[in-house]
Amino acid sequence: MGNIKIRRGDFSTRLELTDASVVAGFPSPAADYSHEKLDFNRDYIRHPEATFYGEVEGNSMKDAGIFDGDRVIIDRAVEPHSGSIVVAWWNGDFTMKYLDLSHRKEGYIELKPANEDFPVFRVNAGDTFEVWGVVVHLIRTFEKP
Amino acid sequence: MYGIADLDNCYCSCEKVFRPDLEGKPVVVLSNNDGCVVARSNEAKRMGIKEGTPYFQLEQLFPGQKIAVFSSNYELYDELTGRVVSIIRQEAPAYFRYSIDECFLYLDGIEPERMQAWGENLHRRVKREVGLPLSIGLAPNKTLAKIASRLAKKFEAYRHCCMIDSDYKRERALQWCAIEDVWGIGRRYAARLQALGVRTALDFAQHHEGWVSATFNNVCILRTWRELNGEDAVPNEQLAKKKSICTSRSFPGMIADLETLKTHVANYAARCAEKLRNQQTVTTILGVFLQTNPFREDLAQYWNFAETRLLTPTNSTIPIVKAASQVLSDIFREGYLYKKAGVIVMGISPDSPIQMDLFDTDAEQIQKLKRLDEAVDRINRIHGSETIVVGTQQYATRDEKGRASVFADAIKHEFRSKNPTTRWSDILRLK
Repeated sequence: MGNIKIRRGDFSTRLELTDASVVAGFPSPAADYSHEKLDFNRDYIRHPEATFYGEVEGNSMKDAGIFDGDRVIIDRAVEPHSGSIVVAWWNGDFTMKYLDLSHRKEGYIELKPANEDFPVFRVNAGDTFEVWGVVVHLIRTFEKP
Repeated sequence: MYGIADLDNCYCSCEKVFRPDLEGKPVVVLSNNDGCVVARSNEAKRMGIKEGTPYFQLEQLFPGQKIAVFSSNYELYDELTGRVVSIIRQEAPAYFRYSIDECFLYLDGIEPERMQAWGENLHRRVKREVGLPLSIGLAPNKTLAKIASRLAKKFEAYRHCCMIDSDYKRERALQWCAIEDVWGIGRRYAARLQALGVRTALDFAQHHEGWVSATFNNVCILRTWRELNGEDAVPNEQLAKKKSICTSRSFPGMIADLETLKTHVANYAARCAEKLRNQQTVTTILGVFLQTNPFREDLAQYWNFAETRLLTPTNSTIPIVKAASQVLSDIFREGYLYKKAGVIVMGISPDSPIQMDLFDTDAEQIQKLKRLDEAVDRINRIHGSETIVVGTQQYATRDEKGRASVFADAIKHEFRSKNPTTRWSDILRLK
């Protein structure tokens, strides 16, 4: 009998700590206070249908804190603005740079690296050019599981 | 109001999402095993490349011309089209996925004057977010909606959304539409109609109802005729009936573990395969749903449905059971008591010899599976259903090395693109 009692105590303690999906069928006193867990997919990926992933090659954006091997989350539903870090197709490759729209009136826009060793790309009004997506998050892994 | 939303040159457009440089260039996608052309971009169509052209002939037929050639990559097409369906789910009051690249839309609740703008917005959203071109046809019934979507694709002035909402527009559209392009008119009926002097959809619509009944004595043809005349005559269930087969059951008790569920789902999948073979059809999309008992409010509730694209159109038990097990594993969540599951196969088409050539996988392997299925069906017929079953149907799988994986690996795909949305190794490289 004693054994059974101990187990019961154990179980009810755990009930309060977890959520209401209890297979045993006891109503949990904590159920009224339950709140959904934080969830990266839900909270950081705002437009799942428009979200793509990229891996950074090289250090052309190092002054923006983005380094070779980093992963980025690209959202195509986000409107790019001057200063956005964007992904664009340029010279046969996907490239990731700052978008600079400040020279729009003069008839061109610029794709700017965050590293003085790299050139600025200038896109003139007539060029076929399209911002493919906007970089919204950066993922860097420090320790592999 | 009904709508049809379908992707322009679906496979080619999917390939172009990650190759912006191919915009405005001829692109073709080859059948499994790189046999022949199954999809063409508008530019490839304009060049005169025909569907079904064997790959090895492209070079001879179009010497020196630059054509971007891809092996079919259904993993990519499935994922990208899934995103489109997900957007449609958010935007449309109701929808029915009819095939990999088209959905019927049920638009009750959207005001007629907002309809055109709604369609144009759906196109814009899909283009911007997924990068795929979607065309939308809107009309008072499904047959006319199909014609409207063809118009939306054909003429840029529609801005990818064409609505047939007056008799004048309807007649103009029917006049433009050749009889063989009318949804529901098969090749054979089209040939008969042409022999009777019916060239366009309008020619057909203007015949008397009595003439149609007397000539064809076929309820489906009569429904098509009614729809061309503006009625809403094709029942929604017919879409599902013709194009999908579902096998589902409630379990006697409740089931918590994946292995037991797999046994049940494998049986439903095998049953679907059998039904497909009975009506001499093949499937391309397989879905599995799973749910807890909604009447047991005291228990945690969970419901999910997912679908997958089959590599080759098939009615063979082994690949179908394998696909169903995979989808089930994807949607299964630990910690629930399940009450019901089901398997649904969609994208059904006739198992004709033409189809076999077009999707020429490994002919020998297909023949082997076919003979196996025939033998199993025969034995099951004689000795009672399910005398012979696939391993999964009977007990938990121990070894995933089924025939189907060997089967899939045997397919040739020399020009296959990457899978940036389903494999970490393939995500975009950003310089």
